[in-house]
Amino acid sequence: MTDSSDTIRGIKDLPSTHLLGTGTPMCAGCGALEALHVIYDILGSKTVFVNAAGCMTLLSVYPFTPFRGSWLYTAMASAPAGAQGIRDALDILLQQKRITQEEDLEVVVLTGDGAAYGMGLSATSGSMERMLDYIYICYDNEGYGNTGQQYSAATPHAARTSTSHGVSGFAGYKKNLFDIWVAHKPAYVATVIGADPLDLAKKIEKARSMEGPRMIIALSPCPTGWDYDPRETVNIGRLAVKTGVWPLKEYADGEVVHTKIPRQRAPVEEYLKLQGRFAHLFEPERNEVLLAEIQARVDAYWEKVEVAEK
Amino acid sequence: MYRIRFHGRGGQGMKTASRILGTAFFLEGYEVQDAPRYGAERRGAPIFAYVRADRAPINERGIIRHPDLVIVADDSLVPIPAAGVLAGITDHSLMLINSAEKEQVWKQRLNHSGSILTLPVAADVTERAELPYVGAACAGAAARLIGVISEAALEQAINDELSDLGADIVNKNLHNAVAAYRAMASHAGLVKEGSLVSAVDYEAPDWIDLPFDDARISAPTIHAAATSVLVKTGLWRTQRPVIDFDHCKGCWWICSSYCPDGAINVVDAKPVIDYDHCKGCMVCVAQCPSHAIEAIPEKQAKADEDAMRLEIGEIT
Ligand SMILES: Cc1ncc(C[n+]2csc(CCOP(=O)(O)OP(=O)(O)O)c2C)c(N)n1
Ligand code: SF4
Ligand SMILES: [Mg+2]
Repeated sequence: MTDSSDTIRGIKDLPSTHLLGTGTPMCAGCGALEALHVIYDILGSKTVFVNAAGCMTLLSVYPFTPFRGSWLYTAMASAPAGAQGIRDALDILLQQKRITQEEDLEVVVLTGDGAAYGMGLSATSGSMERMLDYIYICYDNEGYGNTGQQYSAATPHAARTSTSHGVSGFAGYKKNLFDIWVAHKPAYVATVIGADPLDLAKKIEKARSMEGPRMIIALSPCPTGWDYDPRETVNIGRLAVKTGVWPLKEYADGEVVHTKIPRQRAPVEEYLKLQGRFAHLFEPERNEVLLAEIQARVDAYWEKVEVAEK
Repeated sequence: MYRIRFHGRGGQGMKTASRILGTAFFLEGYEVQDAPRYGAERRGAPIFAYVRADRAPINERGIIRHPDLVIVADDSLVPIPAAGVLAGITDHSLMLINSAEKEQVWKQRLNHSGSILTLPVAADVTERAELPYVGAACAGAAARLIGVISEAALEQAINDELSDLGADIVNKNLHNAVAAYRAMASHAGLVKEGSLVSAVDYEAPDWIDLPFDDARISAPTIHAAATSVLVKTGLWRTQRPVIDFDHCKGCWWICSSYCPDGAINVVDAKPVIDYDHCKGCMVCVAQCPSHAIEAIPEKQAKADEDAMRLEIGEIT
């Protein structure tokens, strides 16, 4: 078991035995579980998780849990409020010397995008305002996965969901949660993905060494909701980065830095065409207009990044 | 009343099968109930779906206790108690199993005095992309075995239920369903309606009454870590990743880091797959840079394993 505290420099420094228990009810090939097991290896067992309704709620269903510590389940909009309660309780126990510094726990919120981008945003905003000392992990599978992949505020433009049918898929656009969180000036904000475990591990390690609100969004390829063969989870995640669809970046000390800039971006359709939720963009005929629009949005993002870098 | 139960794994289209069959019944003028049943588990875990159909309004509710027809999309579920394939089966029940093995083998194995048929059309689907189409084949076969559903109603039901998925998918489902429907021609009408049950004759199941206890006793606090390992999710697997150590370069982190379930650990500088928990997603097969991990059908892997155990005298 690894309660890792050493610095992670290369992939060989990643843990090779895992803290998170097997036997969870997540789908085979779940991209959220893939990110979470690396995150848990880095954060270690001195953690308490606060969860809002979503797929990951099923991780810890009495009497089974993959965790080595406690778990609090809250209403969908209230996980950061639950985290506040636990942090306060721990602080009181510390103050009264009823627990030692050694026994203190890291409070970690774990919710889906439905909660993070939508229902729970107000409670999250409040927690950052109060500079609550916690880590928020949003696994973003771009929809309400647990209830059958209805669209959420994180669903990308044109994706098919169980509530977005037809030739053009979802009419809305993915909300920019990273910028919304950054606007609150918390201690740390980062985007990560399980397909890049090294970048992920480094960011979690960094977050772990800080205090205050530390906010993580993990894009989580979901074979069930995105409609692809489970074996493709990592390939799709890697393409999300390579095509520029999912920028890997972090915010700290008032500055946003891209931790990986795909210099030779692959065309977005390489990412899209592996997923059934975008099949209507390719069959029965290619929807050139929509494909060009999606590509143009990605290009526009990276042009701004390049300008800012100069 | 007809009572039909479909058993499969999440992702094999059992919910769709029950909807297709339900709609086909409806088009033939029946009153219908159809519903899927699954717990917290996901793709790959055992699920079932059921259909009730009658000429008169249906007052029965809840899961079907004594089915007239049981369709099993995945024969590896039969021996898994949690899948409940054999629950409530009587002499009256007809079983249709999607299996490469002979009907006689199943009859003997299950000691079932009622009829057992195997579904030849969709037998042994190992290509995972084909799995969702098993459902339509099951619905087609069921429709013919029941005998009161026309081919036209079956086709109409598939069109009604699946049209959102596009012409290609509809056509593939139509093809599989109609082929299964025709393959069952010689058994048309073999399923016999079960009699109506009345609430008056309701026999309570053979359960144990637990007295109401204080929560501290009935749901004690659990301090043990990672109790989830007691759940053997390895049963979900239809394909098994096998590491060829002649080709494994011992890079170790790749398969172990990417395995979403953390079911690959490194022991003595070698990756070891925990088959009790590997769900068979095949992410490791796709990621291993030395192509040292191969996917083999679970059934074949089990057969090879048994042969090996026989050879070394572990079993006779
Ligand atoms: C207030 C409230 N509304 C609706 C639900 C039903 N519900 C349970 S899980 C879920 C989906 C959550 O989506 P997300 O946060 O993205 O997590 P995912 O299911 O994708 O893991 C919903 C809508 C709920 N539990 N509480
Ligand atoms: S629906 Fe998606 S996010 Fe939810 S458990 Fe399955 S793969 Fe994971
Ligand atoms: Mg979600």
